[in-house]
Amino acid sequence: MSEISTSPIRTEDVDTNDVTAPDRPWIVVVWDDPINLMTYVTYVFQKLFGYALPKARHLMLQVHNEGKAVVSSGAREKAELDCQRLHAHGLWATMSQSD
Amino acid sequence: MPSVTRADGEIELTLDQEEVHILTGLLDEMEMLLTADIPRTDAVRSRLFPQAYQDPDEQEAYEELTSASLMTAKLNAVRDLRRRLEITPGEPAAITLGDEDSGPFLALLTDLRLAIGTRLGIDAEMMSAEPDPSDPNTPALVILDWLGWIQGSILEEMGY
Repeated sequence: MSEISTSPIRTEDVDTNDVTAPDRPWIVVVWDDPINLMTYVTYVFQKLFGYALPKARHLMLQVHNEGKAVVSSGAREKAELDCQRLHAHGLWATMSQSD
Repeated sequence: MPSVTRADGEIELTLDQEEVHILTGLLDEMEMLLTADIPRTDAVRSRLFPQAYQDPDEQEAYEELTSASLMTAKLNAVRDLRRRLEITPGEPAAITLGDEDSGPFLALLTDLRLAIGTRLGIDAEMMSAEPDPSDPNTPALVILDWLGWIQGSILEEMGY
């Protein structure tokens, strides 16, 4: 995404106490790419997840500045669906079980 | 020059004859790319159909579940736009986008840009560089910018 000024980023703590794999939530990560427009990425986050504009912009800037951002989490089926919708919109998304 | 305007909640994109010609050519190339038997290791192919999982078995199951509908959505967007461009062959085109069809159209512009940019092996530096007339990639970069201008203008009219 093209260069733009930024604000400090705060990442959420992930609960690491869970040891039983089935209970650990799946997280969906969107990775930075040099082609997609910043406004398009913000639009997709709002459209797919219903995030308010400030949150969608914040996530977009996190992808841009840090190379990736966790955009959603939950059960495996939900994460797969979110991945699929992100892929349908041309965003580079992967999913994994949180640590 | 393309123009993007908004009236009564709808966005209208106007393209001149030459632009319609270029865009139609890009749609033909995209349809060939989507329907040809291309290995999934191909850079453009794997960018348009990204891996969700690192694990190969899980990825295969994911693809079985999702790739057909992903392919259908991409092809439908290509064919829908081509139909709209063919309404007035050889003439300027006016494409009206309501709430329903702005999403698929923006995703299609993204696919076209991803295909061109990935084939060029583009990085952030190349994206922001001034065009160099002696670079053989310049025509493709100009088209990439042109598609980006259209997409960015539509998004701006939508409040982004």
